[in-house]
Amino acid sequence: MRMRARDMQPVAPAPWITPKPLRDCTVAIVSTAGLHRRTDRPFNVGAIDYRLIPGDADFGDLVVSHISTNFDRSAYQEDPNIWFPLDRLREMAADGEIGGVSGWHYSFMGAQPNHEALSKAGEEVGRLLASGEVDVALMVPV
Amino acid sequence: MLQNAVEPTIEDYPIEAPVESGSREWSCPVSFAVTEDESISGRLLAEINLMAPWSAETRAARGRTLFGVTGAGPNQVEQVAKALGEIADDGNVNDLPAGDISWQFEMPLLIRHLVDDLRTFYHEAVAAQPGDNTPNHKALNDWIFSSTALGDGIQAIARHLTLAGDGASLMTRGLLVPEGYLAGGGSAFPTPAEIEKNTKA
Repeated sequence: MRMRARDMQPVAPAPWITPKPLRDCTVAIVSTAGLHRRTDRPFNVGAIDYRLIPGDADFGDLVVSHISTNFDRSAYQEDPNIWFPLDRLREMAADGEIGGVSGWHYSFMGAQPNHEALSKAGEEVGRLLASGEVDVALMVPV
Repeated sequence: MLQNAVEPTIEDYPIEAPVESGSREWSCPVSFAVTEDESISGRLLAEINLMAPWSAETRAARGRTLFGVTGAGPNQVEQVAKALGEIADDGNVNDLPAGDISWQFEMPLLIRHLVDDLRTFYHEAVAAQPGDNTPNHKALNDWIFSSTALGDGIQAIARHLTLAGDGASLMTRGLLVPEGYLAGGGSAFPTPAEIEKNTKA
């Protein structure tokens, strides 16, 4: 994986957009923990697609098909907010720190050897975030 | 930070992350009697039955479980253990295990997730220990690979996958055993010689 990472193309910075105040922003989570609903198709090795997780998801309805055996799942088992901080966002929205929580969140498989292969899915999620009037994407790499 | 930034910015978060809550110490070390002539299946089912009340306690306290990525229902732990035990004992890494579970993966990749589901169950059981000394990731790996039928089953299946020798089996072996825990040492991922052999085949 490290050898493949060495060959990856650097990602150029995107044009800067001054954001709205956080208290006016709708926030969505984009995770690479391989999370999905129990009823969804699980991720396979090297999957470059994504799954949608509804904003009213119950953690009991989510499972993880991330392929790596080397990262610690015990913390997530204890508190799913470690990888998918939905409760924290709901609290921040209730306290007025953010404007709201998106109706949909997005999950990818981590441990990706080829970032370029994710371009299509990434752009698609970008369009979905925009159409959902999401202002801030909280990226949670796992 | 977002309120003030005028360009891409990376800043340290001003609040220190909490010290790791887990520990290498156990409040109540868990060990199982091993009988040399007993199958992995038999030992695995015995461990599952012993730990079931603890796992149930954790599930009740949390109100959820992460168990079930294989397609098994939350209460089908025994079936998952039976499936993994039979693969370890019989060495069949090609055919889906029998039973009424609608498996969500093909073989041999399913093995990877059978292990994950069982690890979830074991972790849940350990989490029911009294006190604050929850074992950390390293301590859990040490325990599973030195003291449990699950660890012995994983090592047995790793050997079966090596014998199978095809690319999918060798990659599954790499995804099965954490770095540093393969019996005999080294990484479980395919060696350069194994990759070359498969490339030529």
